[in-house]
Amino acid sequence: MDIKTEQFVDVARKELKNDRNKQFLGVLPYGITISRQRSMQTFADPEAANDYGRAIRAEVIARLSELLEEFEKNAAANGAKIIWAETAAEANAFVLNLARERGVRYVTKGKSMVTEEMGLNDVLQENGIEPFETDLGEFIAQQLHRPPFHIVGPALNIPVEEISDLFIAKADMKEPTTDPVKLGYAARLYLRDKFHHLAMGITGVNMAVAETGSIINVENEGNIRLNKSSPRIQVSIMSLEKVVPTMADAMHMIRLLCRNCTGQKLSAYVSIDSGPKKSDEMDGPEELYIIILDNGRSKIYQDQQTREALRCIRCGACLAACPVYCKIGGYPYGWAYSGPMGQVLSPLLIGLDRTHDLFHACTLCGACKQFCPAGIDHPKMFLYYRMLEAQADTEQKGDFIPDKPAKLFDLWSWGAARAWRWKIAVKTMRPMMNYHAKDGVIRKTVAPLYGWFRTRDLPVMAKKTFHDRWTKIKKSR
Amino acid sequence: MKTVSMFIPCTVDLFLPEIGEATYHLLERLGVDPIYHDEQTCCGQPAINAGFVKQARDVARHFIEVFGNDEAVVSPSGSCVCTVKHHYPELFCDEPVWFRRAEELAPRIFELSQYIVDVLGVEDCGASYPGRVAYHESCHVLRGLGVSEQPKKLIAKVKGAELVPLKFAETCCGFGGEFAISYPDISEAMVKEKCDHYLASGADVLLLCEPGCLLNIGGYLSRNHPGKKAMHLAQFLAGSGTGSTSSDGHGKEG
Repeated sequence: MDIKTEQFVDVARKELKNDRNKQFLGVLPYGITISRQRSMQTFADPEAANDYGRAIRAEVIARLSELLEEFEKNAAANGAKIIWAETAAEANAFVLNLARERGVRYVTKGKSMVTEEMGLNDVLQENGIEPFETDLGEFIAQQLHRPPFHIVGPALNIPVEEISDLFIAKADMKEPTTDPVKLGYAARLYLRDKFHHLAMGITGVNMAVAETGSIINVENEGNIRLNKSSPRIQVSIMSLEKVVPTMADAMHMIRLLCRNCTGQKLSAYVSIDSGPKKSDEMDGPEELYIIILDNGRSKIYQDQQTREALRCIRCGACLAACPVYCKIGGYPYGWAYSGPMGQVLSPLLIGLDRTHDLFHACTLCGACKQFCPAGIDHPKMFLYYRMLEAQADTEQKGDFIPDKPAKLFDLWSWGAARAWRWKIAVKTMRPMMNYHAKDGVIRKTVAPLYGWFRTRDLPVMAKKTFHDRWTKIKKSR
Repeated sequence: MKTVSMFIPCTVDLFLPEIGEATYHLLERLGVDPIYHDEQTCCGQPAINAGFVKQARDVARHFIEVFGNDEAVVSPSGSCVCTVKHHYPELFCDEPVWFRRAEELAPRIFELSQYIVDVLGVEDCGASYPGRVAYHESCHVLRGLGVSEQPKKLIAKVKGAELVPLKFAETCCGFGGEFAISYPDISEAMVKEKCDHYLASGADVLLLCEPGCLLNIGGYLSRNHPGKKAMHLAQFLAGSGTGSTSSDGHGKEG
């Protein structure tokens, strides 16, 4: 998957002009938020439920390496093969080689953000192995060659007419229809066929339970379960932060995940795998491979602040909460992850230098943080990235900020550290600021502030500041 | 007589000084003696938001020097109060002496409506306004400080004023400091929506407790809907009858 994070501003501008998006984004995220809140209310104490979830994620972060080792030991005892992949390239190469060794011609896939991060589909395709996405939304996005619009609903924004045309062209559908049931059925017919005689199914992992060595997937379409139960070889890929300590912890996180994801108390399917088919069992894959992907996360873990990003459980609550996402949708974020969680993760995974807009295009309103069931303080993360950028921190590739803002803030802080300097600065600035003023209002100004004045006025810089006015008030007291 | 130290944010000092005057008059009317340290400047929020923490620390030290000995500090800006309350201790996490001073100051600084309701225990400020009002829940007031009931209690006691519901009152207006300038396309879409909801609410005036939002919403209204007003709660409460000490949210220069 191409990384297009540097095109944020241009893509956002284009998306803002898309009337259909506007209509859609004006309704859907609020609907999701309302059903999310309603489902949270089914907890006896919703805030306590959130706190418990946040505590579980905090424990995961605190004990990460120990939990991963425990998971490896128990999963291996169940008969699974554990593969540690340091980079996306390593993980992709493993999947590709395995497929080649076993003579696999095509694979099916359950929706998985980590494989988007790895760009697995591209690698398989380039090497002659056809990947079929079997999640309905992901299937649509794949056929349209679009990035995910939303981490949970990748094709939420695609008009039904376009889907009808697509299915006629690519999924053997005979007649055009806008009936969602018929469209779903067409996709089902087309994709069901792929599960027959399937050699290899690939899935992501929602939770990996250290205590039991089990992996858990949460879904609504049943396709992930088919991906795991029908092939001879199951490959499940997890980023290393997906581990949780105990099955009880996993159960609580599932309660939170489903509520925050789709406003459901529980998704239609939850499947738990503990190893491949055993000798006395009738079905299941003969081989189970679990790839644990690092891809830069060990480095993220080194820093007390950035490791907070690893709390994320990919529920998507922050997307619907974000007023910026609700205006521009998922495409401007330019990669697998969108909305606030993407703004937190992508800069760490691909470098601050390529993601400047992701951690600046935020008003710090805090709506994401308020909802986050994993306890991430997104605004705090963005301020931290901005600091690393300002300090030209090479560890996170924050090495490109121009000198100008730094000098400007040097001057500004020097001026703001004493009132007499501040007052001189105000006097100097005022004529420039008020140059175009008329009737107490500034309607246009010099270049750096242009963005403000396109659709907004500003009151004039007062002839008498409050400092000045206080002198008068003091006398009259 | 109870004294309270006023922190008048730089946006108010420079562009909206009438909010500072309203804050003073309101506190005085409530029987408090408001004092003002002439040495004050800015809380440092712009530097923190831009990532320039070293520079922010210099400004924060000055702020702590100026306000450090006050029993209570009050400010007509939720985001500046958040900066002092939440960000100062973080800024000085590696400097024990300044950290302690920041921690000591944090619980003593209040947003204006919070101070009036929670500290003074007053809800009726003696103001009147014949009309309908809507209230915008500014992000740093609502989510930053947990202040939402206080301004509404104060509005409820204004004679003649009727508080009408505002759709998506808790959604950000799109200001965000540098955000509004760096991402005008997105910011404009956000402030437009906020103003559309205000117009649809049927209110005669939109009230808020944050000068940043006021510059943004007021600036958009001034350009696109000149008849509609946005106003800081301090001005609304300090006024008598018209609900304002100035003719509109932007005021005239003094």
